[in-house]
Amino acid sequence: MALYALRKLVFFIGAVFVASVAIFLLIRAAGGNVAAIVLGKDATADAINALATAYGLDRPLPVQYFDWILGMLQGDLGQSFRTKEAVADLVVGRLSVSIPLALSGLLLGLIIAIPVGTYAARNVGKPSGAVLALISQIGIAIPVFWAGILLSVLFGVRLGWLPTGGWVDWSDDWVGSIRSLVLPVLSLGLIMAAVLIRYVRSAVLDVMNQDYVRTARAVGMTRTQALLQVGLRNAALPIVTIVGLQIAELIGGTVIIEMVFSLPGLSRMILANVAAREVIVVQSTVMLIIVFVIFVNFVVDLLYGILDPRIRNAA
Amino acid sequence: MQSSYKFGQRLGAIAAATVMLAAFGGAEAMAASPRAAENKVVLVARQDPGTLDYVTSNLTALRLWIPANVVEPLVYFNKDGSVSPGVAESWTISDDKLVYTFVIREAKFSDGTPVTVEDVLYSLNTMKGSPVSQNSAAYAAVASMEKVDDKTVKVTLSRPSQNFWLGMGGTAGLIQPEHAAGTIATNPIGTGPYKLVKYTTNSAFEFTANDQYWGDAPSIKDVTVRVITDGSAGLNALEAGEVDSLPVITIDLWEQVTKRELDKKFTLLTYPQVGEPTYAVLNQKLDPELRKALAATLDRQSYNDAFGASWGAENTCTFALPNQPWYEPESAESCPYPYDFEGAMAKASAYASTPLEYASLSDVPDLSLPADIMVPAMQGAGFNVTRNAIDLARYSQLIFQGRPPQFDITVMSGDADPTQWNCTDPAKAGWSTYCSAEYTQALSDADAATSDEDYLAKMKLAAKILRDDAVIVPLIAKKGVGLFEQDLKGFIEPRVAVAIEFKNLSW
Repeated sequence: MALYALRKLVFFIGAVFVASVAIFLLIRAAGGNVAAIVLGKDATADAINALATAYGLDRPLPVQYFDWILGMLQGDLGQSFRTKEAVADLVVGRLSVSIPLALSGLLLGLIIAIPVGTYAARNVGKPSGAVLALISQIGIAIPVFWAGILLSVLFGVRLGWLPTGGWVDWSDDWVGSIRSLVLPVLSLGLIMAAVLIRYVRSAVLDVMNQDYVRTARAVGMTRTQALLQVGLRNAALPIVTIVGLQIAELIGGTVIIEMVFSLPGLSRMILANVAAREVIVVQSTVMLIIVFVIFVNFVVDLLYGILDPRIRNAA
Repeated sequence: MQSSYKFGQRLGAIAAATVMLAAFGGAEAMAASPRAAENKVVLVARQDPGTLDYVTSNLTALRLWIPANVVEPLVYFNKDGSVSPGVAESWTISDDKLVYTFVIREAKFSDGTPVTVEDVLYSLNTMKGSPVSQNSAAYAAVASMEKVDDKTVKVTLSRPSQNFWLGMGGTAGLIQPEHAAGTIATNPIGTGPYKLVKYTTNSAFEFTANDQYWGDAPSIKDVTVRVITDGSAGLNALEAGEVDSLPVITIDLWEQVTKRELDKKFTLLTYPQVGEPTYAVLNQKLDPELRKALAATLDRQSYNDAFGASWGAENTCTFALPNQPWYEPESAESCPYPYDFEGAMAKASAYASTPLEYASLSDVPDLSLPADIMVPAMQGAGFNVTRNAIDLARYSQLIFQGRPPQFDITVMSGDADPTQWNCTDPAKAGWSTYCSAEYTQALSDADAATSDEDYLAKMKLAAKILRDDAVIVPLIAKKGVGLFEQDLKGFIEPRVAVAIEFKNLSW
């Protein structure tokens, strides 16, 4: 297992390195002269040169790259051109919204999907199983922004139970923070659950027909016991895969939800900074997200090894 | 166990029924804002400026909230034409309009430090060097700015300048403390009736009454401006009673406003300063006769019916808003190329082989929807027009990289500042620009006018040159529109740029 983990770690580091070079070069290739872009069309040549010098943008690209990477490794993500704020401070402030939103959405999705998907698999061919499959299908077809708007209108405008949007800082009123997150988390979680239910149902159906489950039944286990004690561990493999992919997708999904519910999360910050031509903020924040996604894949790989000895032994 | 299950089922059914009844039941009477008793107001901003540095940014999203509320100019120009004291408690203007002497009031900035002549000189010099032309243009005629004594600043001009005097009541005349310049982007300091307590980008501005304010304390103590970029979400928040006003709403929300009868449940106000002229831009490099023929296909009334009439927008051929004195509504005298479809058809045959590219910004409703009217009209008249949809991000990227595409026709909405078309060399003209030595000179002459009458006459001349050339072809003058909680009173038309002043608000 240690060798397997080490190989995956080397792959993780390599992927992060390649991603960092790609981001660095792509942003420069797409943006042209960073200082000119930041200052806008009316900027004088002197102002552009002064900004380039002040932020080291006139140095050779390899020097800029290693300076950026070394800074990232030490927690220095750079500085906003416009507000002079440290990017790290900006990101930390936004993570207090984005992390609870994304993780709660994921958790809600799993809490709903695993029992419902398992139930649907056990009742395949029965009306209850068909109804659950239909609900799941409808859920998949609903765009997350639409779910957000519907929930906002129902629980915010009509019923007045929860805020339609906006954010209350944790330090001001933590109850208000949680209230602000309920509808966004519901929107994300319900739609994610709809997707996951189908995968869980399919994975459970698959293992229920396996020989080891039949053997477990033959030695006296009930259907539920066989499923829980033997089947679920095997069914977990494809579910872990799809959860890993969903986490990456969740980052995209939160952009829409943050817009609909006016939450000051990381995704909106990136969008706003793209529009404001804050190259350094965008570059560092996107890098952080990519590292996170690669890290999730790394963890998923490790889980494969834990869940299925054949994978780690083959590696 | 069975009875418990049934009880759960019944409870669930009752809960669901309650939710459905409450959700889809009849409209209920609007209650007064819960914030009235707390002496608070919550407003909605549709955009987040990202920075509050009004020296380097002229974003409307910033100018709506910071000027006048937090940072004050030297003087205020009122709607009735009078001038009120701001940071300057009095002033004198020499007869030749070359020397302005400002007496600075004894006041404190919101951080408790006294306002000094040095702060005023620092502020004026900073604005003189501002990269925002609306700020720096006010100082084009300034020869010197100096301290006379501890309360007096003297500004000497090399020639009379209307722009300078008007600028002292606009963003160009905003006064900030030099020691707080480093934090202007996140926490601007000023002498205004409010101070900024907290600004969270993409979330909210929080203001509270400035206890150092030199004037009467404002009625409302706390003002929160929530950033809700999604228009529907903003209307939801208003209807749910979470906010008290959307002071600026856009055309794309109009259908929702009327369908949901929000214009009846809330007070709907229109005010011109926050409005925008909407105008067609015909590439200056096109044959002038072709431009004039294209201009004749522009049916202002159908455009207004579709996009502006509900807001009280006016048809106009003058690049201005109704609050600008040189503004003229559409008339035979003020429209050199009125709508004349048959006339345009007659001229189109000569240009049938000239391909024309109409650029529409696909993700800006105000600018993409006009193409639905204008392109078919131009094609119907016989012009060889193709519609090319680009998104705002791509457009901005091209513009900011200094290599804008050479589209032939588009429709834009924007600032009503006529000096944005200052450009003397026609060789530099391109898509969305206008360059005319004659027009630029007319504006310069207007700036140097020594009387209001002379200024108005020269601005009218400049406006005429602009419309005669059929490059910038005004269509309608849209007014700013806002929805307000019915008990919330005291909104006045902006005095400093587009700033919405909180000071006069009351429940």
